[in-house]
Amino acid sequence: MTTGTKVSGIGHLILILWLMIGGSFDSDPLPLESVDVSVISGEEFAALIAPPSPDATTETPAPATPEPETAPAVSPRPQPAPDRPAPTPAPPPATPDTTPEQPAPLAPRAEVADDAPETPEPPVADPGAALDQRPDAEPTPAAAPRVAPTPAPPPPPEADIAPVPSPETRPSETAESATEALPPAAPEEATTEIVTEAEQPSGGAPGTSPRPPARPRPQPPATAETTPEPDAPAPDPLADAVAAAVAEAVEPDTPPVPPRVSGPPLTQGERDALRVSVQQCWNVGSLSSEALRVTVVVGVEMLPDGRPDSATIRLIDFSGGSDAAARQAFEAARRAVIRCGARGYDLPADKYEQWRDIEMTFNPERMRIR
Amino acid sequence: MTRLAALALAILSLILVLPAAAQDRSGPLRIEITEGVIEPLPFALPEFVAENGGASGFARDITRVIAADLSGTGLFREIPPGAFISRVTSFDSPVQYADWKAINAQALITGSVETRSDGRLVIKFRLFDVFSEAPLGEGLQFVAGQDSWRRIAHKVADAVYSRITGEGGYFDSRVVFVSETGPKNARAKRLAVMDYDGANVEFLTDSSAIVLAPRFSPTGDRVLYTSYETGFPRIYLLDVASVARRALEDQVGTMTFSPRFSPDGRTVVYSLSQNGNTDIYRMDVGGGSVRRLTETPSIETAPSFSPDGSQIVFESDRSGTQQLYIMSANGGEARRISFGPGRYGTPVWSPRGDLIAFTKQNQGRFHIGVMRTDGSEERLLTASFLDEGPTWSPNGRVIMFTRETQGETGAPALYTVDISGRNLRRVPTQTAASDPSWSPLLP
Repeated sequence: MTTGTKVSGIGHLILILWLMIGGSFDSDPLPLESVDVSVISGEEFAALIAPPSPDATTETPAPATPEPETAPAVSPRPQPAPDRPAPTPAPPPATPDTTPEQPAPLAPRAEVADDAPETPEPPVADPGAALDQRPDAEPTPAAAPRVAPTPAPPPPPEADIAPVPSPETRPSETAESATEALPPAAPEEATTEIVTEAEQPSGGAPGTSPRPPARPRPQPPATAETTPEPDAPAPDPLADAVAAAVAEAVEPDTPPVPPRVSGPPLTQGERDALRVSVQQCWNVGSLSSEALRVTVVVGVEMLPDGRPDSATIRLIDFSGGSDAAARQAFEAARRAVIRCGARGYDLPADKYEQWRDIEMTFNPERMRIR
Repeated sequence: MTRLAALALAILSLILVLPAAAQDRSGPLRIEITEGVIEPLPFALPEFVAENGGASGFARDITRVIAADLSGTGLFREIPPGAFISRVTSFDSPVQYADWKAINAQALITGSVETRSDGRLVIKFRLFDVFSEAPLGEGLQFVAGQDSWRRIAHKVADAVYSRITGEGGYFDSRVVFVSETGPKNARAKRLAVMDYDGANVEFLTDSSAIVLAPRFSPTGDRVLYTSYETGFPRIYLLDVASVARRALEDQVGTMTFSPRFSPDGRTVVYSLSQNGNTDIYRMDVGGGSVRRLTETPSIETAPSFSPDGSQIVFESDRSGTQQLYIMSANGGEARRISFGPGRYGTPVWSPRGDLIAFTKQNQGRFHIGVMRTDGSEERLLTASFLDEGPTWSPNGRVIMFTRETQGETGAPALYTVDISGRNLRRVPTQTAASDPSWSPLLP
């Protein structure tokens, strides 16, 4: 206490003394010599350098007077552009300037969107065109080709177009039998969009543009590698209580299950590959219009070789229609899962625990007859 | 200090562990499929097994009719029998799913045909979901006379269609239409009825008088039509089985046309033209009272009931152009539902109740289209020189209509189109044909 008082007293004393006699320590400002270089001519410069006469030095303070005037002249205030007629022609060059600039903000936007998986969950009702993953596709109106009446090239692996598209009207069985034991064939008229006869002649711009693509869902980061056990040597009761709370939060009511060894999470590309694989086989062409209004959630357990375990395919939930319609929708979904997974989905084996259980939501909103 | 350090460490571990725990609880991998494909579902239909010698011809024919029915919808595609790996030699033999998967058959139909000693046919069939390796529904058996083999084939196809798509079939149904022969300026017109696929044509009238616009009753046993027998258009009611007929309305100085049954079959709505004005009337089929439903100086015609019988859609030019309106089945205020460019006519309410089919004329072309009952979501399904007179299939999935070709040699023909606008097909008829009306599914 006394030490503190002493220190405080000494400090205050020094402060008071400095306030009282500090003024005597004021030093005169250094004589400042300034030269306006802009007004010095060549002869003046030569004269300034050559004769170091005392007259010249006394004269130099004189130009120092206009110095404060030149200083504000440099400031931006006297620069107002509107006063000048010259800036008026400036806008024309400004317009060409903006055009090259316009693509510039778009590019970074695309980049930002690409690595921004943390965006809030997109509304499920707005799934974007799956093929248009780039957000910068939005301002370009050109793309989005309507599905042509010509057969769409089916990407599935087993897609060998049958040479004869089942012309049932011609009962020529002999010609058909020539195509012996063809591998699974995709139909030629496969399409993802319906173009009616009435729409065909109008070959202009498409009437509807694809919806903006859905943003990728936030990828859940890797499951905890190893839960950092609170430090063992902590007999402290408070630390114990907190540790107990942590343990309770980590393990809720669930019974103790042997922890699965989970690999790293699937990348967005791997998830997309799985999605694309399934949708190639999701054929809604034979569904009733009511079944096309039903969204079904289908659960499936996968085998380590990437094939779905058919016996585990189950309807978890559905919405938007009757039980009967949901059953039709589920059967179509089940066929898709089994068919395209018959040879095993291309999934990383080291991440098996990540895709062992899959829930697929089949939302036919975009496939409905419009 | 130790206590503080322990506390800090505990809080830190809580921060680190909690999100991980939450992710552990995120459960299975979830993906959403929003894009699929629209393509016919490939099915395999091995020829039905003939259980005895007399059944082999029927087995072959029935199999072909079923295949044609399913393929004709555009929703299914038959896999050529030559591609089959497995042979079905017995109706009860186990299915070799792997063989059918190998040829990408998603549905498999097996069946058998047997002729009994009394001459009747016994047809059994089963449907399998190949990739699920399970039957789709129970097996079914039909017994019928030999002359009904086509109907049985249609019934099998209806059952398959219904089990896979989830909606009723339409194959076991008939169509009444106007059969036309002769040159364009002197056409002979007769009423005829046929299976939906053009088979089994029977004529109901001779060609002595011009006949128009036949309409099936809801039970399919009677037909309303318009005939010029007396020189003026007049509505007649015809019994399909006996071909007996009678005039429904016989007021001197009037013309009646464009009749249609109510869903219960007891009432008829039609147009009556008197003194140059055409309005819509309603009459009991039993010969009861007649009630006038519209009373305007404009032309109101082509009435069609909603499936519940509570409303009527019709065409009228009261606004200056031909448009579609809906009013109560008892008349009264009408609500306009068509607002697009062009002229709208011959509206027909879908048996499902959700859509109205119509003919549209715009910019020199005719279209068959559909719209919701409030006029929204108009969709044109066809476009040609002359498309008109839509009629709905019993399940509300397909529309049949008349398409007439241009020029001196032009002639009308019947076409079908799916309500999605796909699968436009010509219905095979022996003569030129127009004004189709689809029956309900036969009992």
